[in-house]
Amino acid sequence: MKVLFYGRLAEAIGLELEVDAPSGSSVAELRERLIAEHPEAERPLRSKRALACVGDTLVRDSHVLRACDTVEFLPPVSGG
Amino acid sequence: MSIVTRLEHDALLPDQELAALVGRATGDGAVVSFTGIARPQSKDGDSVRQLVLEHHPSLTLQSLQDIALDAAARFDVSHLHVVHRSGSIAPGEPVVFAGAASLHRRAAFEAADYLMDRLKTEAVFWKREVGEEGSEWIEPTDADYADRDRWG
Repeated sequence: MKVLFYGRLAEAIGLELEVDAPSGSSVAELRERLIAEHPEAERPLRSKRALACVGDTLVRDSHVLRACDTVEFLPPVSGG
Repeated sequence: MSIVTRLEHDALLPDQELAALVGRATGDGAVVSFTGIARPQSKDGDSVRQLVLEHHPSLTLQSLQDIALDAAARFDVSHLHVVHRSGSIAPGEPVVFAGAASLHRRAAFEAADYLMDRLKTEAVFWKREVGEEGSEWIEPTDADYADRDRWG
């Protein structure tokens, strides 16, 4: 499963990771795994304002992932 | 009704954006615009060399369009015009232009205010200030979220 990061998450983890997560994992489970492997990114990954996307669609923590998915983690956004 | 939304990678020229909006506002009685400018100092008073805005390849423009569409549905406006910079921005340079045209002034004032409250908190950018000591990520403040939430 490909995982993409932006902003402070990309700074902490990198722009892209290949994660060997099985189909059927939830977004929440993937997040916990990322936190275990990258504890320095725990705060932005757990932020209530952080978003997760699959195929440019925002998904909830309970969303079930497929091994072929590309998942994007977006830290809190800020324009203006 | 027209809506212009654009992600600008080069210089944002607010006078040209305003002229374009005024040019479309034939028959209207009011044009209100806001230009956000990169500050030379951080909130802590440190000198800022650059403001850097990173964007998402698809979600960023989509967020600008969604916000403008919501404003069009909410206010009695004729034209909306939103242009947002991405990339490295020097202090003093424009970051965002948000404008609205309407038959009477109140709707244009409110629409511009609404656009900026939504853009500050929901436009898909990641923003950092680069200074002498390195760079610092900037996220909306509680006041920014409260400003957005007052629209319900």
